[in-house]
Amino acid sequence: MDYKEEIARELAANTIVVYGKGTKTAPRCGFTLETIEFFNHFGYPFEVIDVLENMPKREALSAMTDWPTLPKVFIKGKFYGDTDILGPMAESGELQTTLADAFGGTAVQKETIDLRQ
Amino acid sequence: MIDNGSLTQLIRTRIPDAEVGVVDRTGTMDHFNVTVRSKAFAGKTLIEQHQLVYGALREALADGRVHAVELKTITAEE
Repeated sequence: MDYKEEIARELAANTIVVYGKGTKTAPRCGFTLETIEFFNHFGYPFEVIDVLENMPKREALSAMTDWPTLPKVFIKGKFYGDTDILGPMAESGELQTTLADAFGGTAVQKETIDLRQ
Repeated sequence: MIDNGSLTQLIRTRIPDAEVGVVDRTGTMDHFNVTVRSKAFAGKTLIEQHQLVYGALREALADGRVHAVELKTITAEE
């Protein structure tokens, strides 16, 4: 099975993809839950893909990103690490711009406006 | 599991000048808060800085000695 192709398809189909442990409704790792809560705050749609039990896919993802841990976040196909990266980006306002661009400038959330002021 | 000193040493194998702060978050010696300060981070993006640290921890993460890391990197001034 070629996981690279599967991953490429998933990244093409969803603007925000979180590869994590567990699902949106049943996260099985504190960091995955934290990441779900983080993106809930922004209000844009995002996809959580559970790779907990899929070691070959996890290895393919780690090799692709040079990043050994889960969760792994992609926005418009680009790797953004985890909330250790996204948190500071949100504080500086960079993430709000990235998300607004990724979603074509639509659906700008109230939080975004507040953080920019 | 791994003790704070060994974790610091692992990071210094890749980043010799690293000042490393380690906090065991759960008391189980496998979930850590790690802060790394180094000149090696200068000119690198946040992702590249974290990739540098994770490069040093790859084996420890793969074999389960370290389960989870909350990482913070700081660029040391010249």
